[in-house]
Amino acid sequence: MLDRRDFIKAQAVAAAAAAGGIGLPAMAQTSMVAGEDASLKWSKAPCRFCGTGCGVMVATKDNRVVATHGDMQAEVNRGLNCVKGYFLSKIMYGKDRLTQPLLRMRDGQYHKEGEFQPVSWDRAFDEMAKQWKRAIKEKGPDSVGMFGSGQWTIWEGYAASKLMRGGFRTNNLDPNARHCMASAAVAFIRTFGMDEPMGCYDDFEHADAFVLWGSNMAEMHPILWTRITDRRLAHPHVKVAVLSTFEHRSFELADVPMIFEPGTDLAILNYIANHIIQTGRVNKEFVDKHCNFRLGQKDIGYGLRPENVLEVRAANAKDPTDSKPIDFDAFAKFVSTYTLEYASELTKVPKERLLALAELYADPKTKVMSLWTMGFNQHVRGVWVNHMVYNIHLLTGKISEPGNSPFSLTGQPSACGTAREVGTFAHRLPADMQVNNPTHRAHTEEAWKLPKDHLPGKIGYHAVLMDRMLKDGKLNAFWIMVNNNLQAAPNTEQETYPGYRNPANFIVVSDAYPTVTASAADLILPAAMWVEKEGAYGNAERRTHFWHQLVTAPGEARSDLWQLMEFSKRFTTDEVWPKETLDSNPAYRGKTLFDVLFRNGNVDRFPVSELNPEYQNDESRAFGFYVQKGLFEEYAGFGRGHGHDLAPFDTYHEVRGLRWPVVDGKETRWRYREGLDPFVKAGEGVRFYGNPDGKANLFAFPYEGPAEVPDKEFDLWLVTGRVLEHWHSGSMTMRVPELYKAMPMAMVFMHPDDAKARGLRRGSEVTVASRRGEMRTRVETRGRNKPPRGVVFVPWFDSGRLINKCTLDATDPISKQTDYKKCAVKIVAV
Amino acid sequence: MPFDAEPPAEPPTRSARGNEHHLASLLLHVRPECRTAVRATVAAMPGVEIHIEQQGKMVVTVEGPHEGWIADRMTSLHLLDGVLSAVMVFHHLETVADTAPSA
Repeated sequence: MLDRRDFIKAQAVAAAAAAGGIGLPAMAQTSMVAGEDASLKWSKAPCRFCGTGCGVMVATKDNRVVATHGDMQAEVNRGLNCVKGYFLSKIMYGKDRLTQPLLRMRDGQYHKEGEFQPVSWDRAFDEMAKQWKRAIKEKGPDSVGMFGSGQWTIWEGYAASKLMRGGFRTNNLDPNARHCMASAAVAFIRTFGMDEPMGCYDDFEHADAFVLWGSNMAEMHPILWTRITDRRLAHPHVKVAVLSTFEHRSFELADVPMIFEPGTDLAILNYIANHIIQTGRVNKEFVDKHCNFRLGQKDIGYGLRPENVLEVRAANAKDPTDSKPIDFDAFAKFVSTYTLEYASELTKVPKERLLALAELYADPKTKVMSLWTMGFNQHVRGVWVNHMVYNIHLLTGKISEPGNSPFSLTGQPSACGTAREVGTFAHRLPADMQVNNPTHRAHTEEAWKLPKDHLPGKIGYHAVLMDRMLKDGKLNAFWIMVNNNLQAAPNTEQETYPGYRNPANFIVVSDAYPTVTASAADLILPAAMWVEKEGAYGNAERRTHFWHQLVTAPGEARSDLWQLMEFSKRFTTDEVWPKETLDSNPAYRGKTLFDVLFRNGNVDRFPVSELNPEYQNDESRAFGFYVQKGLFEEYAGFGRGHGHDLAPFDTYHEVRGLRWPVVDGKETRWRYREGLDPFVKAGEGVRFYGNPDGKANLFAFPYEGPAEVPDKEFDLWLVTGRVLEHWHSGSMTMRVPELYKAMPMAMVFMHPDDAKARGLRRGSEVTVASRRGEMRTRVETRGRNKPPRGVVFVPWFDSGRLINKCTLDATDPISKQTDYKKCAVKIVAV
Repeated sequence: MPFDAEPPAEPPTRSARGNEHHLASLLLHVRPECRTAVRATVAAMPGVEIHIEQQGKMVVTVEGPHEGWIADRMTSLHLLDGVLSAVMVFHHLETVADTAPSA
């Protein structure tokens, strides 16, 4: 026994050494998990959690996932696994998994105040279709809506977009990714004319400096964090700067640590731009050839309800996106007031640290990678702050080449692949097209084989507006898929819950587990998850990654794809399309939405005989054609030939993902630069081809303060966020015993002196209260997060302690993304 | 309109079978100047063994009776002062009667 154990231990050590690049011989893939059980079947899949997109190997036995480990062949993680990834095999097997539809009933009928009772899928869809038809008949197509997710597979998001826009003729479709990276997506389009980063994870091995702008990668992106630590430790000249409003785990690696006053990152960025200009380090040739300058709108409000005094008072709340062209000199003059002294005074960061940070960008010899997540994006000026980081990369020409990389990280596995690329936002169509652009709609109508002028041009309700419209009774039939919005949305007690329980509304929640959101619904639909279906995700570095269905979903749980397509059979065009459309296009008359959207000659083009016989595929078996392939190929047609090129469907089942654009079988690691990106012609050098003039846009914006600041009564800043052990709202990770135990409840992290001043100490039970709501928890003064005085941090994974009762529904007025990082609370002993 | 959520129930842990032995290898990144302190703390953790130390990296193995044991140590190592990151590479489960891998 001892001998065998030693042998296994040696194997384990060798594998870790190989993964860490320590130079022992690499282990063969099959020996990664020892114990050579021949009855195990190993298949590849991307991880189900964050936007990093790690590859994992999944072992199945008797139709059950029994093991997972990091995939040595996956470039993203090279065999490594974080603690959440370690427990992937357990997320599907929580005791309270939903296995049948549940409808609120009283006396055998649906009743808004009834108790949940099991019903058949037929009964569930009958009731749902009745409610949809009632709403559309009474108030028109904009009375129905859907709230989806960056956790949808690519084809699920695509099917949802077709059903909502092409079927029901409304753009009331938004993903929970709105809460996550809408500010990043909007700024990409406004700057480069195309969404998503120009660089990729390979930048980690090329940069001389890393700057974390409001991102705790050590906990939220642990695998990418190992690539930064690797680079930093192996190359002593490499510097890491970490900026945040409180101290967290990533500070452990910081050469330039920086705690700044909430919201003042805007001033830091303008100071850096000013420093670059004042010290003569502008890359003039790059700027002259490749950049335009614009003056942005100021005083744009806070995305609150229009009658809110802050919106009434704001000069430009109605047209926040306006801007006008200026030249470099005007831009230089605009930022010239952001001196080191002013920036230091406003941010409360020592001057020498600000200067050290500015030099990382200004020094032409330092290749710098900027990284950001929620600190930037969940910001009432989130679009501005994204623009400002592009400003400093563009002024210095530090972009679109190995190591020089402004890089927006994502939090969901397919925030890029599904929410952004497929276009499940209320304003978007596939391949970066927009619903309010008639040319883009016409192109989409053609691709989807729909009548001319059929698609709606009005931008739909965004996430926060959906909640408001539900509460106000304007949105009446609402379908929530793969997300837990009652836990995730801001100001839930005042603005979200009332809409779900509004008697005028019918709320449907599709999920794998009974979340807080599901418990407030009228109909709960049990969902298949992860490897219970064939899927595709797109990660933060433009990598599209597929997996096969490996096991069957429990009971009557069905994938979101099956649910969307099956539901579409319940409607005929005559019921939901205008008479004029059918009069001038009689061929569509009498057909179901399923016929026109999914039996359209594209989606049903591939027979089930093309399925890989090694794997199950419940949707294709149910509908009689290779559903995922048909949807993917129709969708991929939007992007091929103009910079969003995806490889053929079958290729993705063979590889560990590919980064688009994929041209002639080759992925693209850096975009917009000649020699690296096939869309940049010889002699052009750099071309930001998303914009017609091939140039990127720099915007001048001022510093403006947050929507709510602490005062005498509500005297602390509240910052919310995530923790290492749990993923987002915890609906999966809180069901893994080991992860639950490691972090069972959301505490309020606060400075010991702030606790003392309130007569509290570590472990004291307290109420965290804002003007909008409150939650009870315990004080943590010694934990991994160390807020400065005046700031508290509360994570939002805990469904028993809902911190979003306290948060404010202020959004960036341009991106409509909520600011979860800045509102005022008080903390009192219970 | 108030609403209250049920606190999540603690998921049941599989009862310890007593005949399992779990072994995992982790890759640690350590701040060079904290190396000595980290080495001492890590070496003192029950079931944890340091095998290789090179360029700020450590390869350690963790052994224990169940997965939770492994996960607890992985989390504590990741959050340890001076440790920049701790990630898993390899995990093996061995039972006295037979051999079967587990996650």
